[in-house]
Amino acid sequence: MRFVLRRLGFYLVAAWAALTLNFFLPRLMPGDPASALFARFAGRVSPEALQALRETFGLTDASIFSQYVTYLRHVLTGEFGISVAYFPTPVSTVIGTGLFWTIFLAGSAVLVSFTLGTLLGILAAWRRRGWVDTWLPSTFVFLGAFPYFWLAMVALYVFGFLLGWFPLGHAYGDDLAPGFNLTFLTDVARHAALPIATVVIATLGGWLLTMRNTMIGVLGSDYVNLARAKGLTPSRVVLRYAARNALLPSVTGFGMALGYVLGGSLLTEIVFSYPGQGYLLVQAVRNQDYPLMQGIFLVITLAVLGANWLVDLVYVWLDPRTREAS
Amino acid sequence: MSSTPSTAVTGFAAWWQAIRRDRKATIGAIILAVFLLVAGVGPWLVGDPDALVGIPLQPPSTSHWLGTTGQGQDVLAQLVAGTRVSLAIGFGVGLTVVLVGALVGVTAGYLGGRVDALLSLLFNVFLVIPGLPLAIVIAAYLPSGPLTLGFVLVVTGWAWNARVVRAQTLAQRKRDFVAAAVVAGESSFRIVTREILPTMTSLLLAQVIGSTVYAIGAQVGLEFLGLGDVSTITWGTNLYWAQNDSALLTGAWWTFAPTGLCVALVGFGLTMLNSGFDEITNPRLQLERAWRAHLRLRGEEPTRSTPVVMDVG
Amino acid sequence: MDEPLLSIRDLCVDYVSEAGCVRAVDHVTLDVSRAEIVGVAGESGSGKSTLAQALLRILPPPAIISGGEARFEGRDILTLSETELRELRWRRISMVFQSAMDSLNPVISIGEQIVDTLVAHGAATRQEARSRAAELLEMVGIPAPRVDAYAHQLSGGMRQRVGIALALALEPALVILDEPTTALDVIVEREILQQIRGLQEKLGFAVLFITHDLARMLQFSDRVAVFYAAQLVELAPAAELRRAPRHPYTEGLLRAFPSVQSDADEPESIPGAPPSLLSPPAACRFHPRCDRVQAICRERQPDLIQLGPRRAAACHLAE
Repeated sequence: MRFVLRRLGFYLVAAWAALTLNFFLPRLMPGDPASALFARFAGRVSPEALQALRETFGLTDASIFSQYVTYLRHVLTGEFGISVAYFPTPVSTVIGTGLFWTIFLAGSAVLVSFTLGTLLGILAAWRRRGWVDTWLPSTFVFLGAFPYFWLAMVALYVFGFLLGWFPLGHAYGDDLAPGFNLTFLTDVARHAALPIATVVIATLGGWLLTMRNTMIGVLGSDYVNLARAKGLTPSRVVLRYAARNALLPSVTGFGMALGYVLGGSLLTEIVFSYPGQGYLLVQAVRNQDYPLMQGIFLVITLAVLGANWLVDLVYVWLDPRTREAS
Repeated sequence: MSSTPSTAVTGFAAWWQAIRRDRKATIGAIILAVFLLVAGVGPWLVGDPDALVGIPLQPPSTSHWLGTTGQGQDVLAQLVAGTRVSLAIGFGVGLTVVLVGALVGVTAGYLGGRVDALLSLLFNVFLVIPGLPLAIVIAAYLPSGPLTLGFVLVVTGWAWNARVVRAQTLAQRKRDFVAAAVVAGESSFRIVTREILPTMTSLLLAQVIGSTVYAIGAQVGLEFLGLGDVSTITWGTNLYWAQNDSALLTGAWWTFAPTGLCVALVGFGLTMLNSGFDEITNPRLQLERAWRAHLRLRGEEPTRSTPVVMDVG
Repeated sequence: MDEPLLSIRDLCVDYVSEAGCVRAVDHVTLDVSRAEIVGVAGESGSGKSTLAQALLRILPPPAIISGGEARFEGRDILTLSETELRELRWRRISMVFQSAMDSLNPVISIGEQIVDTLVAHGAATRQEARSRAAELLEMVGIPAPRVDAYAHQLSGGMRQRVGIALALALEPALVILDEPTTALDVIVEREILQQIRGLQEKLGFAVLFITHDLARMLQFSDRVAVFYAAQLVELAPAAELRRAPRHPYTEGLLRAFPSVQSDADEPESIPGAPPSLLSPPAACRFHPRCDRVQAICRERQPDLIQLGPRRAAACHLAE
């Protein structure tokens, strides 16, 4: 319990750090992006709206400390200001439209990749110099060296454009109304298949190698040797006495890789015109939409921190040593 | 414990010997050498990458081996020119990231106490904040160019190295020879640079390689988003323009396929070099290899239980 | 005398390296009778732990068994198949490892680790196995409710007791104790050894007791085998070995432990260091450190010569 609470405290600190970074970044940068931002708005909105925008963005004549307090209050109530690219929609509404798709895409990709990679890693370590161990690590290291979005481009070109097996983009067909029915869900799966597959292919090798290498270390440990001496079958030794222990570093790595994989997944979204945060991020970059950009940064950071905490809970479940009351 | 020039030379020769003995490391070193050669002399062998040399989006032909871009430039010339810039940024950032990481990690691990607590918190926070969105936010506020790109990549990439180096420093501090140096009244700077860092040479080398892989990948990603200077020619901007010119929808695979392949080859080569080093420096793996060879020589299969090979009458 | 439980003949174990093979157990011949306690003494690196793990065929790479035989209950362990080895392990021969901290799995409760063993050998169903595990723990003085505890929640002595309970779970005919008390303080060590002795008298298993602590061994064992540089140099009943050692190395070891010889006032260590097994001294391996070295010691390796029904030594001076 103590461990879980300590980690929670850490994520709160990390969230606060991200919020603060987000606040000070525009103010620390050379030039004056705020003026540039408001110059873009000038003429398009009334002076009253402009003043309101200044306040939500926290750029008032007040002292920096009271600006900071105002900013924190706004963020905590879900107010990230007004988007430039989608004027005058609030940033929170814009982000809300794509949040589900991003979490769905990155979440399924990372889970599939981790599970598959870890299982293959166990297999590779178990049958050293066997077929899996000889070919899969190098193959997936090679595939993992391609930029995610490049794999996405090739996949889209080959399977979407040339062969026409998969749709060329978006999360579901234009002619379908979202709903919880088989037609719609099948269509969503068909649209997600290529993006998920490319992220899985690009990240599988990392999990495979991590698990394989830790497994090889654990298989040489005294407690595995004792398990062998006890006359247990090889499968029992490997799965029950080695794999669970070897999983621990992988789970720690899983939490840390989440942010990285999510980054790659955002780029993949762009290639597939998938309506998630990645697509919005490009729009924000192209339109110099700072409020949207910073909103996305914050939301994604908070999502990653939350996911990390869930990973910690899994870790506690796997390792009794973290469950101590002391 | 301090290394003299002669041990450094034999160390280097030993590395080279080791690379040649390990298949993975050899493959990695060859791939890397080819790309460094292309980056070094390639730009003089191909034409001006900016010149508009033909009809846009021409497929590969004898006059343009890799075809032309959406603007009508030679893809090969752009690829070669991009190799130089991208590798320069990649290695530069890789080195800087490791330097920053080592500095923070050693300071935290060596000084301990509050400094350690604070620095550890700092890199742990940077580890959980997703890198790409942070990089985008920072890069968007700065003037675009290689320096901005490098800065952003260092900010988002140093934390992992710092964490590993800190752990290593903590382990080294407990060793006898460091304790002896402390008792002998040597200065902290001397202890760190003469006693602790030399024990981490292979770790830092592995970090440089790993960080370079990261730097090249992340750089290409950011430029693809349009956050680089789109007027300089790099692997990332090549891909940016390919996407911008709707390469996919026009079927112009040659405008993006070669660049991605190059990114992957360099990344693969560096990773192979690293895992080759790992096998060379990991005594357990080395012994296991000798064991397998020994058994194979006697026509025996490696078994789970201790094998019996009757050598002795 | 009927056939011994374990009969090792000329056993050799090599560690393979790129520079060549290192022989860690060199032509060792040793018998263990039923219900007998045989001690194996020697400095670290003398091959005694290697011998123990070789008998279970669990030595990890880069080890190979390169010669000899090891007959246990009439079958040569070195010729058994993987399946036969699995049946032999723990049911007939079990082992207490050197470090209980490292040999108990940190993420599986101690009870489960005992249950696994019982179930794997068909000794009990999962439900029965659990109560049997609790019984075993109580037998070594651990309260039954601790069956759900994890290794890190126990003290060093408790963990080693768990190792003993685990070793006795299937009532094997031979229990190998590989330096079972090295990590413990003297009082806990004595308690645990007394407990093993008591259990051994009750259950009648044979013990191969490996340690570098000759004093403990002489109190605890029926017979003692002394190893030096991968070879067996002397074998004798404990009392006789203590009274009249026949190998200069054994003499040196006895002098090094003041509690063993009552008349020695100061512990005296053997000069020099144990040789590297990569390039052991020619002829008698002990000759560079021996205070009674003769010309022949440098020329010819002594054989292990029988000096009575239960005694043997490998020294030219013992002839």
